[in-house]
Amino acid sequence: MDIKKILVELSNTDGPSGYEEAVLQKIEKLIAPYVDRTWHNSMSTLIAEKKGNGKGKLGVFAHADEVGFVISKIEEDGFARIEVTGGIDPKVSMAQRVKIYTRDGATSGVIGFLAPHLQKEEDRKSMPHPDNIFVDISCSEKRVRVGDVSVPDVEACEINSKISGKALDNRSGCASLIWAAKMLQKIRNEWDLYFIFSSEEEIAGPGARTIAYELNLDKAIVVDVTHANEKVPGYPLIKLGEGPVLTIGPMVDKSFKDKISEICSRNGLKTQIEPAPIHSGTDADEVQIARIGISTTVVSIPLLFMHSPVETVDPKDVEETARLIAVVAAEMEV
Amino acid sequence: MLYLKELTEIGGVSGDESRVRDFIASKIKDKVDETHVDKLGNLIALKKGKKNGKRFLLTAHMDEIGFMVTNIEDDGTLSFSPIGGVDPRVVPGKRVKIADKVTGVIGYKAIHLQKKEEIFKVPAFENLRIYIGTDSKEASSKLVNIGDSVVFTTEYREENGKATGKAFDDRAGCSVMMDLIDNIDRYDFDVYFAFLVQEEVGLRGSAVIAEQIQPDVAIVLEGTTAGDNPEVPEYKWATHIGDGPAVTFMHRGYVVSSKVVQNIMSIAQKNGIPYQAKRRTAGGTDAARLAGTWRGVPSGVISVPSRYIHSPVSMIDLNDYHNTVRLVEKILDEGEVFFK
Repeated sequence: MDIKKILVELSNTDGPSGYEEAVLQKIEKLIAPYVDRTWHNSMSTLIAEKKGNGKGKLGVFAHADEVGFVISKIEEDGFARIEVTGGIDPKVSMAQRVKIYTRDGATSGVIGFLAPHLQKEEDRKSMPHPDNIFVDISCSEKRVRVGDVSVPDVEACEINSKISGKALDNRSGCASLIWAAKMLQKIRNEWDLYFIFSSEEEIAGPGARTIAYELNLDKAIVVDVTHANEKVPGYPLIKLGEGPVLTIGPMVDKSFKDKISEICSRNGLKTQIEPAPIHSGTDADEVQIARIGISTTVVSIPLLFMHSPVETVDPKDVEETARLIAVVAAEMEV
Repeated sequence: MLYLKELTEIGGVSGDESRVRDFIASKIKDKVDETHVDKLGNLIALKKGKKNGKRFLLTAHMDEIGFMVTNIEDDGTLSFSPIGGVDPRVVPGKRVKIADKVTGVIGYKAIHLQKKEEIFKVPAFENLRIYIGTDSKEASSKLVNIGDSVVFTTEYREENGKATGKAFDDRAGCSVMMDLIDNIDRYDFDVYFAFLVQEEVGLRGSAVIAEQIQPDVAIVLEGTTAGDNPEVPEYKWATHIGDGPAVTFMHRGYVVSSKVVQNIMSIAQKNGIPYQAKRRTAGGTDAARLAGTWRGVPSGVISVPSRYIHSPVSMIDLNDYHNTVRLVEKILDEGEVFFK
């Protein structure tokens, strides 16, 4: 299986925060051949362990959940109201098919939008408030209930050798961990290595911080995605296809980050940098302060249109992120 | 309903209807007596009558709303502008097809990077771009051209008695006509089927039809607005899906000849076919053109009520669709009353 296929398969698997099980099962199947053992903890986190000599523990994190919706009210005449799980922009949500997970299985809905012919001038002035967004469930063949979760109904596709679809935040991170485990078949890691696929990152939930506690790690690399090709005033432009991004900020152990930088340049691995003066907005913010504190770094995959149904990554960046994880894991010594 | 899926999944914005036209022509050419394509690109088919020389015209438009590539930017993204009425609020976050071959996405700056007041701001077309996986003007220019047409890529589905997909306005009407061509026998009068171009940009294809065919009566078949959304109070609905085909009594630029409306409604009643009046008068159809060109053709409008039209995903009730086909069949069966 190549990296593009893994990205497509993981993007097409649904797992909004708290409902990651299907994604974790897919990942477990993909990574199991390359590790010594896998297990799930009590917070729906999947751990894949590749043993070293037991002298140190490196955890590599990627969150498995995605942003989505939850049904909050059933209305008469085949409509339902929704709330968002994680940050979703109404601008990328209108006139969109969604999949709803009922207790009887998946079913269809449509986030509808009034035709322009019937709009009044005042309707046109703003995006609908989330309270006014609705899902048309009259096309659903199953009963939809309050509390059912939902995600955009889109299939990933290839666009000029890039992959576009939903949930590539952070399935591309997950894919890079799987790919790194595969690369490490040929490289011996000194430290015990834990690939961690955690839950509920998008709502800043308990996934990553509980497993960081449980494993009592010495070092952690948190793999997530970051905004590419979007000029943020006062910040360097991060570009799609230009390699993994190393975060600099208080959540990052500077000496660990510098070591990674040095390993990367020695291995001809191009990286970009992203300053994060306060928070990284990733699980690193929580992982760093677990137990007595963990030496943590953040590695991000450049991504376009985050939290939309058309998130896009360059598979080369995902492969290079995997290579970064593999070479760093190989060089971790006591 | 053999053709609706394929019909809706073909891309065909106003001015670029050839793929829709070729599909329809290939399916109907052996079932009618004549077909021809006129100077504007309208496809006209004739099923000859057995005797009296009267002419009954049915029309539906082939074009759909979409976009045109208006510029290729230095970073490889494409600027675009709507063809027909598209609300910019349904555009970001969608996948599109350019020139029937290149896939692209319309993204938007991530919510994390927006200021609070920007989140509820309506996006402007001039600020939206299509990304096609390239990072330079040069690379994009090898894949697309300025002027290429752009369509949404929604696939058609049937679930729980509903169909969802793009372009029910007016592939639903095209599909009804194709079903009729499959179903009907020969009548005493000629039946013309006109599959029209450029409805969404000002009823342009239909402008040259009356002169060419000189029909005695016309029925325009449409996929029309429902507007029965939960935020809209019932008294403001245009139609309600599931209540049957919608019969228009007036719309922009034309009050439908009352004789035509009455005939349609009494035929529906007589045959026990559910129908509803279209209860809003906004928007126009090709009926306005047919009535206002040549010496004027009395023209009715019958529509399949459709939710969320002019967006990437609309919805119809399949019963409404089947009842529309039945109603028009009965209208043709009793077609003589329209010539009186």
